[in-house]
Amino acid sequence: MRDLFKAELLRFRGWAIAGAALHLLVLGFLARVVDLAQQPLLVYRVFGGVYALAGLLLGLYQMGSYRRPNVWLNLLHRPLPDWRIAAALLGAGILLLAVAAALPVLLIAGYQAGMTARVVDLRHWLFPLAALLIAACGYLAGAFCMLGGRRYSACALVFLALLAVSQATGPRVLLLQAIALLWLAAMVLAAFKPDLSAPPRSPAATAVTALPLQMGVYSLMLLLGFGMEMLWIMQGTHPNNTGVPPPGGHNETERMTPQQRMLAGLAASRAPQAPLWREQVALSEVQPIGVQVVATPVRNELTHAAAEQTEFDDDERRVRWVFSHDRMRFEGYRLTDGRRAGELGVGGGDAPFPAPAQAAGGLPGLPKGDGTLVAGNVLYRYDGAAGQALPRIVLPAGEILAGVTPVGESLVVTSDRALYFFDGRDAATGDALLRPRQRLPIPGRSGDLRSVELIELVDGYLVSFSFTSYAHELTGATPYQNVLWVDDGGRVTPVAHRAMAYDYSAPYRYKAWWPSPALYALRVGAIGLFAPADPLQATAPAPMPRGIQVFAGALMLLSLLAAIPMSLRRALSTPARMAWVLACGVIGLPALASLWLLYPARGQAEPQRQLQPAAA
Amino acid sequence: MTDTTPSEYVVETEALCKRYGAKLALDQLDLRIASSRIHAIVGANGAGKSTLFRILLGFLPPSSGQARILGRDSQQLTPTDRGRIGFVNEEHTLPNWMRVSAVTAMQRRHYPRWNQRAFDEVIGHYHVLPEQKVGQLSRGERAGFNLALTLAQGPELLVLDEPTLGLDVVAKRAFLESLLYSNAAGQCTVIYCSHQMEEVERVADNLIILERGRLANMSAPDDFCARVTHWVADIPFAGPPPASVPGLLQAQRIDGLHHYLVLDQDEDFAAFLRASGARSVQSMPVSLDRAVNGFLAKNHAMPAAA
Repeated sequence: MRDLFKAELLRFRGWAIAGAALHLLVLGFLARVVDLAQQPLLVYRVFGGVYALAGLLLGLYQMGSYRRPNVWLNLLHRPLPDWRIAAALLGAGILLLAVAAALPVLLIAGYQAGMTARVVDLRHWLFPLAALLIAACGYLAGAFCMLGGRRYSACALVFLALLAVSQATGPRVLLLQAIALLWLAAMVLAAFKPDLSAPPRSPAATAVTALPLQMGVYSLMLLLGFGMEMLWIMQGTHPNNTGVPPPGGHNETERMTPQQRMLAGLAASRAPQAPLWREQVALSEVQPIGVQVVATPVRNELTHAAAEQTEFDDDERRVRWVFSHDRMRFEGYRLTDGRRAGELGVGGGDAPFPAPAQAAGGLPGLPKGDGTLVAGNVLYRYDGAAGQALPRIVLPAGEILAGVTPVGESLVVTSDRALYFFDGRDAATGDALLRPRQRLPIPGRSGDLRSVELIELVDGYLVSFSFTSYAHELTGATPYQNVLWVDDGGRVTPVAHRAMAYDYSAPYRYKAWWPSPALYALRVGAIGLFAPADPLQATAPAPMPRGIQVFAGALMLLSLLAAIPMSLRRALSTPARMAWVLACGVIGLPALASLWLLYPARGQAEPQRQLQPAAA
Repeated sequence: MTDTTPSEYVVETEALCKRYGAKLALDQLDLRIASSRIHAIVGANGAGKSTLFRILLGFLPPSSGQARILGRDSQQLTPTDRGRIGFVNEEHTLPNWMRVSAVTAMQRRHYPRWNQRAFDEVIGHYHVLPEQKVGQLSRGERAGFNLALTLAQGPELLVLDEPTLGLDVVAKRAFLESLLYSNAAGQCTVIYCSHQMEEVERVADNLIILERGRLANMSAPDDFCARVTHWVADIPFAGPPPASVPGLLQAQRIDGLHHYLVLDQDEDFAAFLRASGARSVQSMPVSLDRAVNGFLAKNHAMPAAA
């Protein structure tokens, strides 16, 4: 085994060294231009994609060179168990990837930590391991694509898709990647047998292969649906692309101006002041309320959706402040010479922030160079002159502060649960905590909330909330708009509730569910594995229509019935046949397709041979 | 099949079938190959030879029937069983990027019954240097190196699947001599698959002919040659209709003389030719090459299996 391992290392060592050199060159160049530790998620996704692709190509090439019948026979026909031969080859491949993918990242992290004042946290030291795990997953997926049956081997790619869409954060991402790696390794070991064309033999090997295959079929069904949607868009009748949106639907509301939206909401109002408010809306400026925090930062997360907000520049003092998850403080370096410029914490003692902080822009009246920072439920004012972050707004514990919008002389603070109204004049002066004048609970879930707009009234504010974000799919609420009036005394009065029509039919909205409710649940579970719940993304799914449930049930029953004759035409033991029929009933069409893909139908009856008369 | 204990045979198949879609590569093959001696397997392309080897080594499942090798079900071979079976194919698949010495060292560690003398004995026929990379070896040297590695494993059964394919005359001769004069080869059963009849004639004690996945002959090569005779008849006009010629393998008319290659015909065939108008008749023996080629060319003439 050790000999095969060494032989395989020898085979690809030149490629690994060349790959590592090129990788180091690219990273080295980029490290001179940007801070590689503070890049947006997209940049890390591109790098991850390249690592996975490199691994995939290695797996395809290496196993592709071995899978030719004579070469495969020569490899496996030796007095070694198959798994040891596989372990030698795969171990060498992964070690080569460690050299080509992980080592350069480690070296660049070392360079940033040792030779620059940039922030390098523990989470950054995990990048090389993540790079290796992603590349190794790609490698094993490529190996399985070559060694598994041609009809189904591409199913290993679902693990790469999982790595791309997983919501796991922090070191737990590595755990998810390790699980994917182990599963892929089990798939490759199950396929690593003399007869490559044979389906998996043991029940465990079958389960290890069949589940990703079923998820692959399910994903393919979704992709087909996506392709059909593209055709729909090209046709020009898709609700998102029609010249005039369907009347009364959520698309129509989303395309309205804030003023139109407010008027549409008021049109549904029976409040006696509604006519007056409509006139006022027509004449006034309707102020949209935005958010600065699109995703809640989590401590030690490897990447963040809005990484650019984890650092900000003090242009007056030419200092760049970068948030350190290890220190829970901002660490500064001078933009002029790159030297360290101290630390920024809370208050004069530079205490650590209670949660990962990020820049939230400036506010009217703040001195030049100053700005705001958000960490958890607290808004801080960055005082550049004093080099301090001072808490100015503290929301109730458990709420997430998502944004601050100046409205006239007021500040409107958005959390995942409510809007808070503050006196904006106090924000720029003084160091005391601000007290909210009014609190307006959001009449829905933060994830469903698509737009908020308001106008100032003589007595309070008229606020419109539109909940349409996920009305096109099953996770979203039934689309609606609520208009509320909060008076100066903080009393909240419902003004209007406008229900909107769906622009998409129920089969479209539930297209991820009805092909296989079981695999949909598995998909949701896999994507959310090791992921903290983000309150800003919470939704209130609408109840599922009865027709969709019946349709999904009918498909499952159809799959079960179709599986009976299909399984009889395949070389399966009775327990295996029963298990497959049951699986088709529970999982539905993807399981049925998997049965068809995994096991070729038994051959036809042997034809009668006839001797021909002699002919010289 | 005869009633003998399985251990007497290195290979046993019973009603072995292998189907690729609608095509039968092996068709109810019943085959027993006794241990010791050199057995040659010949057959036209597509006769099922390589499929048989792949099934015997557990790299293909049979569609039906059974196959045993060294007494073990071919689909249940253990690593130890594999260590007892040497296999050389026509590609001489070896790691091109490794040095000869490294490949040798690797094989030495893998095979507990490694026989360095056997290796040295065979490799001595070739000018192969330990520091050479396998990819730098000529095709003949590569074949010889592969044979040396395989014989040094100390196999009980050595399967050679067209090992001289693509080799020039000199390399073929070197390969055969290194096989024939190797003591290691003499200590194991050899199954030699080839299209080269001169090789078969030289090395084989037993000739197995596969035709369309079925056993068409199993006998000593000389016995098979004796079954095929070449008759030349001077028939003034058209000869007898081919369908009426008993045991006909091949019929040709050259310079006005009728040439017949027939199977299992005695002097009665001369009487048949005379009755068909022959003024003179002459018979002569044929070479193994001619006999096998004639036999395989007439693929629907099926003699009883030996």
